[in-house]
Amino acid sequence: MKTIADRLIEDEGLRRGVGRLTPEKIQKVFKELVAGECGARMKTYMETCVRCGMCAKACHYYMSHKDPSYTPVAKVSQTMWRLFDADGKVDPEVIYQCAQVAYTECNLCRRCIHYCPLGIDTGYIISVVRRLCHKLGVTPQYIQDTAHSHSATMNQMWVKDDEWPDTLQWQEEESREEFPGLRIPLDVEGADFMYSVIAPEPKFRTQLIYQAAAIFHAAGVSWTMPSTPGWDNSNMAMFSGDSEIMARVERAHYETAQRLRVKRIVMGECGHAFRAVYDVANRWLGWKYHPVPVVHSVEFFWELIQQGRIKLTHKYADPVTIHDPCNIIRGRGLMDKLREVVHFLCENVVEMSPNREHNYCCCAGGGVINCGPPFKNVRIVGNSIKAEQLKATGVHTLVAPCHNCHGGLEDIISKFGLNMHTKFLGDLIYELMEKPE
Amino acid sequence: MKRLPFTRLLLPALAVLLLTASGAFAQQDMTHVPTEAFKKLTRPPAAFAHDAHNEKAGLTDCTACHHGEKDGKRDPASDTAGIPCADCHAVAAKAGKTPLERAFHLQCMGCHLTQKKGPVTCGDCHKPAAK
Amino acid sequence: MHALYDLAVGPLAWLAFAVFILGSIYRLMSMRALALKKDAAFVAYISWPHAIRSLLHWVTPFGALGWRENPGVTIVTFLFHICLFVAPLFLMGHIVLFDTFHGWSWPALPDGVADTLSIVVVAACAYFLWRRLSVPEVRFVTRSHDWLVLALVGATFLTGVLAYHRIGDNLFMTTLHVLCGEAMLVAIPFTRLSHMLFGFFSRGYIASEFGSVRFAKDW
Ligand code: HEM
Ligand code: HEM
Ligand code: SF4
Ligand code: SF4
Repeated sequence: MKTIADRLIEDEGLRRGVGRLTPEKIQKVFKELVAGECGARMKTYMETCVRCGMCAKACHYYMSHKDPSYTPVAKVSQTMWRLFDADGKVDPEVIYQCAQVAYTECNLCRRCIHYCPLGIDTGYIISVVRRLCHKLGVTPQYIQDTAHSHSATMNQMWVKDDEWPDTLQWQEEESREEFPGLRIPLDVEGADFMYSVIAPEPKFRTQLIYQAAAIFHAAGVSWTMPSTPGWDNSNMAMFSGDSEIMARVERAHYETAQRLRVKRIVMGECGHAFRAVYDVANRWLGWKYHPVPVVHSVEFFWELIQQGRIKLTHKYADPVTIHDPCNIIRGRGLMDKLREVVHFLCENVVEMSPNREHNYCCCAGGGVINCGPPFKNVRIVGNSIKAEQLKATGVHTLVAPCHNCHGGLEDIISKFGLNMHTKFLGDLIYELMEKPE
Repeated sequence: MKRLPFTRLLLPALAVLLLTASGAFAQQDMTHVPTEAFKKLTRPPAAFAHDAHNEKAGLTDCTACHHGEKDGKRDPASDTAGIPCADCHAVAAKAGKTPLERAFHLQCMGCHLTQKKGPVTCGDCHKPAAK
Repeated sequence: MHALYDLAVGPLAWLAFAVFILGSIYRLMSMRALALKKDAAFVAYISWPHAIRSLLHWVTPFGALGWRENPGVTIVTFLFHICLFVAPLFLMGHIVLFDTFHGWSWPALPDGVADTLSIVVVAACAYFLWRRLSVPEVRFVTRSHDWLVLALVGATFLTGVLAYHRIGDNLFMTTLHVLCGEAMLVAIPFTRLSHMLFGFFSRGYIASEFGSVRFAKDW
């Protein structure tokens, strides 16, 4: 049977990383990691898996390849069990394989939790494998670059301190033509909420900032954006295994909101960022829950609609389908609100199947898309099941309120020749809403 | 429940008694343990040819099996040969008394285990009647 | 053989039950201690109402997505586990031993029913064996440990059934059965069979996270 060893992909970061290792070094770091950061949870998962293979059908990689080395349990068997069996004393080449599985063949989407009768969280196990690889310095080059960027600039895309407020002011100016009174309020203390986005927005999707500003302007809400580092809510360090930087980034984010004394943070349409702010970094920082209330755009738009603050000129007529992003559905239960918003905006909604908590992942999340071009095909070919699912809906518009999902889905759409295009909720609302003078 | 953990440990003492005592009723016709007292049988009756068994086991003292009762305890001194077991051991016994099924099991299995001879498993006693 | 049988139903049986019960308590307590010491960031989220709600789905056949998507395993594993507990606990042969030597008695299943349940377990073991050999995703992850536990369970029930049907020398078969059963009991706390002890907690934990933090179902 084929294993990960039969499909290794050259990556500069991984190759150089393992070049610096010896079995002894690996063992030392592994043992420290197990003693320091793993406890009963890992031990129970390692011990109780009955290897029934029920989780196979959960994973889009397996469903796309039908190759047994892609099942959730096979990923654990090719990584964590191997390490535990050898008490961490493995060949550097094994770490290369572990890294490729962990960074590029698992999206930490947690779909497999719906399949494993023992409730084993494969995503958690795989993120511990990533943590080990990070500690060993074996990380794919591209994702490591984003982690470096977080470390140096507190944002993912090397956006410099002055470029950020410049970009916001530029968008404000642009919008003045359409909305003469529009402001993107910077550093307004005591505003109702701080709006935060991921760094790719100012870098190359500025029109999303424009649209958000337009929607907030039309809705007449009290909001602000910080002009200082701490504005980026994305967090690739969380996925590279660099918990220290992950926590620094989120601490800056929470503290920025606290400095501005806002009531809450409203986050743009991104899933992984939400996971970091809502559910992950807080734990590393010693908070049971995030110290500032956090709301995802889906929920915020839902509120605006409930309050009657968004009025439409017309509804979107073409049939649409909804993609449920893992990190806000399995990660936050927003499936009903997402549907209510889409039904408010669109005439005709065709559900894909399976959907809601059971939806297939886009295969871009969990940092996989951020591993860059060397691994692009892994995630596209590894998600033909999603292509089939999309195709079966027969519609041409796909609503996906998540950046990673957009990236992944667009790649799948073009590779499999699906005649579809993706939309954010913001795209639709901006297009359909009554625009004030 | 206040019981000795290994009731069968009492039996070696009994066994010594059995072997030295004498006198037995001949029950030529008996082929299996009498089961009339049980309303319903769940297994074939346990094979037991009285005379052949005693001859093979060298049993001459009837009290080895046909014991009496004193103060709620087994009394090996009194000879109850001729009285059916079920007369004392009710099928559904009161608390503290030994019900019939347990009495049979204890009697046979207990002795066979201490003697290291004779059937001790379910299937070696409860055999379908030979045709 | 009498001496071995005597040993097996006497001292070894005590030993096996003691190791099983005390071993299980020890494993559970030490895992709990480890969790409190090292997993505070997870223990904090434990929410019994969510855990119980999810467990109710998972103990219902086809009550969770994983069950629905794996109907064969679901049917077999439910039958297997139910019979695994019911048959030996209400087996006349077992009750008689307790009754004879300790005076403990409780209602038994009719022999024919118990026999059927036992054969179901043996058949389920055969199905698991077949899966391990020929279903690629199961075979890919199978290790020697899996053969061992499957053999322990299979051998215990198979020898039990053979003994009941008086196939082979009955004393030998029964003794073998008792020894296998004891080995299996001893193995529960210390092998993968410990999923019996920890399974409810691993599911319960993830259900707590899903229910109380993520507001999503996990079934
Ligand atoms: C701990 C010591 C054990 C003892 C002393 C013991 C004793 C016995 C005996 C004497 C029989 C024969 C019953 C008859 O012929 O009706 C039997 C049958 C059986 N035992 Fe056990 N057993 C033990 C453990 C186990 C365990 C742990 C299991 C399973 C979990 C088990 C499952 C069975 C089964 C399935 C049968 C056959 C039932 C049938 O086909 O009717 N036994 N056992
Ligand atoms: C309450 C207790 C238990 C629960 C909830 C439980 C649950 C499960 C589940 C969910 C599976 C996976 C599905 C499958 O492959 O069939 C499984 C497999 C298994 N269980 Fe249990 N179990 C329990 C107790 C036991 C006990 C006491 C034993 C044996 C002594 C046992 C033996 C097995 C075996 C042998 C398998 C795997 C079969 C294979 O190799 O694929 N289980 N159990
Ligand atoms: S990609 Fe999702 S379903 Fe597949 S193993 Fe990872 S968490 Fe499980
Ligand atoms: S479903 Fe759970 S127990 Fe079964 S093989 Fe997968 S991880 Fe292991």
